[in-house]
Amino acid sequence: MQSPSQSVLLVVLALPFLAAAIAPLVYRLAGDRVAYFGATVAAVAFGLIGTQYGTEGVVSIPWIPSLDVSLALYVDGLSLLLGFVVSGIGILIFTYSGGYMHDEPGKAKFYTTLLVFMGAMLGVAFAADLLALFVFWELTSVSSFVLIGHYQDDPDSQYAARKAMVITVAGGLFLLIAFLLLQTVSADAMGTATFRLVGGEESMIANAEAMREGLRSAGLFVPVLGLLAVGAAAKSAQVPLHIWLPNAMEAPTPVSAFLHSATMVKAGVYLVGRFRPLLGSAEWAMLFAGLGLLTMTVGAMLAIKADDIKELLAYSTASHLGLIIAGFGLQSIYGAETGAFHILNHALFKAALFLVAGIVAHEAGSRLLSDLGGLWRDLPITAAVAVVAALGMAGLPPFNGFYSKELLFEATFHAADHAGGLWWILPPIAVFGSVFTFLYSIKFLSLFFGDRPDALDHVHSPPLPMLAPPVVLAVLAGVVGLGGIGGTLGIHLGPLEGFVNRVVEGAGAADPHFGYYLPTSLTPAAGMSAITIGVGAIAYPYYDRLAAVVERLASIKPLSPNWYYDGIIGWLDRTTVVTERVHTGRIRTYAIWLLVGVAALAVGGYVAAGVALPALSSITLGAPMIIVLGVAVVAAVAVTSAPSHVAGVLTLSILGFMVAIFYILANAPDLALTQLVIETLVLVLFLLVLNKLPAFYGDLDRRQILTDSVVSGIVGVTVFLTVLVSTAATPGQPIYKYFLERGGVPSEHGQTLLDWGGGSNIVNVILVDFRAFDTLGEISVVAMAALSIITMIAMRQRGEAQ
Amino acid sequence: MSGESPTVGDDEPTATPQVTDGDTTVIARTVVRIVVPIILLVAIALLLQGHNQPGGGFIAGVLTTSGIALVYIIYGLHYVEDNLLSGSVLPRSFPLDVDNAGSDGYATITKEFGEVFGVGLAIAAGGGLAALVFGYPFLSQAVVFLEHLPIYGEVEVASALVFDLGVYVVVVGGLLTILAVVGNE
Repeated sequence: MQSPSQSVLLVVLALPFLAAAIAPLVYRLAGDRVAYFGATVAAVAFGLIGTQYGTEGVVSIPWIPSLDVSLALYVDGLSLLLGFVVSGIGILIFTYSGGYMHDEPGKAKFYTTLLVFMGAMLGVAFAADLLALFVFWELTSVSSFVLIGHYQDDPDSQYAARKAMVITVAGGLFLLIAFLLLQTVSADAMGTATFRLVGGEESMIANAEAMREGLRSAGLFVPVLGLLAVGAAAKSAQVPLHIWLPNAMEAPTPVSAFLHSATMVKAGVYLVGRFRPLLGSAEWAMLFAGLGLLTMTVGAMLAIKADDIKELLAYSTASHLGLIIAGFGLQSIYGAETGAFHILNHALFKAALFLVAGIVAHEAGSRLLSDLGGLWRDLPITAAVAVVAALGMAGLPPFNGFYSKELLFEATFHAADHAGGLWWILPPIAVFGSVFTFLYSIKFLSLFFGDRPDALDHVHSPPLPMLAPPVVLAVLAGVVGLGGIGGTLGIHLGPLEGFVNRVVEGAGAADPHFGYYLPTSLTPAAGMSAITIGVGAIAYPYYDRLAAVVERLASIKPLSPNWYYDGIIGWLDRTTVVTERVHTGRIRTYAIWLLVGVAALAVGGYVAAGVALPALSSITLGAPMIIVLGVAVVAAVAVTSAPSHVAGVLTLSILGFMVAIFYILANAPDLALTQLVIETLVLVLFLLVLNKLPAFYGDLDRRQILTDSVVSGIVGVTVFLTVLVSTAATPGQPIYKYFLERGGVPSEHGQTLLDWGGGSNIVNVILVDFRAFDTLGEISVVAMAALSIITMIAMRQRGEAQ
Repeated sequence: MSGESPTVGDDEPTATPQVTDGDTTVIARTVVRIVVPIILLVAIALLLQGHNQPGGGFIAGVLTTSGIALVYIIYGLHYVEDNLLSGSVLPRSFPLDVDNAGSDGYATITKEFGEVFGVGLAIAAGGGLAALVFGYPFLSQAVVFLEHLPIYGEVEVASALVFDLGVYVVVVGGLLTILAVVGNE
């Protein structure tokens, strides 16, 4: 198989980020048409990814060579699928936003973040390296945070954005630990430590057997599995971490359709599919099949209690992601096929439904099921789209969702049939969850059918940019469904089935023969489908009663993850542990923490490195030195007993001037000069601010004196140790020799000197020539200090005025 | 005043921005008049000879600042602004005092110390960039010997002097900004 082109992949990754950088500018120039700029970018990315269709393999660009981290990109069916979904749905979402976001605030920020998100998501799809994957992964969380909080002033948006951030980013940290553990284990299992997940002989997946054994012998197999599951569950809204997804519906509808149904939440699912070849085992199956089926059922049940159509779709998304995870969890080939095929189907019908929900909210002015009905007369095309998409979601033949759900039934039955025992619980759960899916899908359609409420005003028809994208999605979903009818008759949708085969390979199944068709005989799976639809149809008249039951169940607090989340966050908000001990607002506390912390780190470092103390006897001092230092010590002691600030400052400057004399005695005229001038200036500054300070120190209590003397003692000892240790080092080739040799003017020279310092003041030559870059940094610090003084003092009053 | 409390809390409305304006002696003013030019001259000498003898941009900058600080303390901030620099030395963002707001002294703002250190950074970095023009790495320095000059004979000119000048200007600008802002409090 052909290997992918490095330049094309790089362009695909870089393009959205570059476009994001200029998006604000484009917005200023072109206004609302920036949406079509975004759509063009997505289309170019889609086309470029299309050129890589049929290739497989890894391309690698060195990134941090010293850490053996490279930006490795990997292309196979699975990454292509996600790439196509992200860029393809991206085209439609950008187009749709052009109509939807017309009257909304903050458009420049919106499109920029959306482009960044698209780039990050493509990064997740193509990253072959765990570190790169992690970076892109967290970047999607951050852009999702910004997009959910689009309406910045709305408290609900703030709550939702923070919740999504806390859960998904925290999940990402679990993932990071798992990645680091995998890297550590790879050192033993494969000989060399690597972050390369997939692609090439040296990757973890190529050595999956050895990696599994290495993990097991280290006792890390289940922990790594658990950490990965937490990360994937947080991102893909699996129970009990699903709670951020319904709140995330505060975001504008294009965001909900793009991030929170079609792409970002697919990242967790993608991760599970990606790791399936590496960690696939009985534990894997138990964990992910259990997690997925639980989420599928709970999500579907919660969806029927929703009155807001976006909330209904959010719970439904969680439920369908559960279905995909369950598919990837099961170890049979049907499992892999379920996951692979349903990623595609779900992206098609769910994005379409979100866009329909957006049209309804936009044109009818309400998102509540109880307010709406009979809209098909006003919105005929939208209604047609909704029918195709919702029946796909319900899993009704011959619509697209039916086939992947059928595959799940087959996979659960297969697993139960083979393993027996407790595994027999899986098929009934799958059917049970699917009944609810059927119910809420039909309920969604009640928007368009039945009686039109009288309270409903005139409903406008949506503009073309909002109507075209869902139509495209529905047509695609319909074609997939027709492919099944064709398959039954022996006319297969070749390219689609071939593509799904390659995705299935990426998820770790060898030699797949994917084909889908309507059941022609009563297989167990067909029976399960029939039961689902039959029970669903019988139960539909009792929808409201069922919803009430679910409502009552969900309101039991200990059963609701939200109750725990709000409890913990609320406790963190109220808790005073931090404010009492660290963040007191008093400079004394901050100084103590900082000084003791630095001292502890320094001493800890010496202890850890096993640094030996040099012999003190090697230090000799002349009489003048002893006198000068003696005066300095006396001055230092006198500072502590100075009766007033002025006396204290003057005494302190005695100490400073003694240090200057010490420099002179130690043959350092430059230092002495600097010390003298600085000392003078500091004295002046002190005198300037003195009249702002209280004239006397006030009464100190004994405990404070004790703490202060302990802290200053610790700091003093640490500095003393540092000086001793750092001056004791005698390297073989001292650097001062180089400076002395190269610093001055050589005895024979031409008119110009380039390689030599050319000055006899070696300190200055070092400052402005050998180490000029350091000096540049230092003077920047001086400038920054001046700036911060301006900010602190000048802007302080401005802040109060506002 | 008998009612003056030892702890000065909020600004009294009559507080002037001058540091110690009005209560300095004739002796102090006379001394400053003589000493400050000498200090500035020494500072420039330190800057120029820094490459070969004790000195350099940093010391020269701090010394210059000390000289100007003397003028501040003895003559006050207004004297420096109006008579020496004919413009504001405080950052524009600085909140103006009631008695100064709208006065003509602030209407003709021509420069402030905040711009000075910006210029210094530009000189230092620009000197480094010049090396790139000649195809050497950033901040490469060279020394040129000029021979047969009248009076001086041979003179060594170091390109590092430009960099040192940048250091000098940054230090002067930065410290004076701090001094002016803190002193104005």
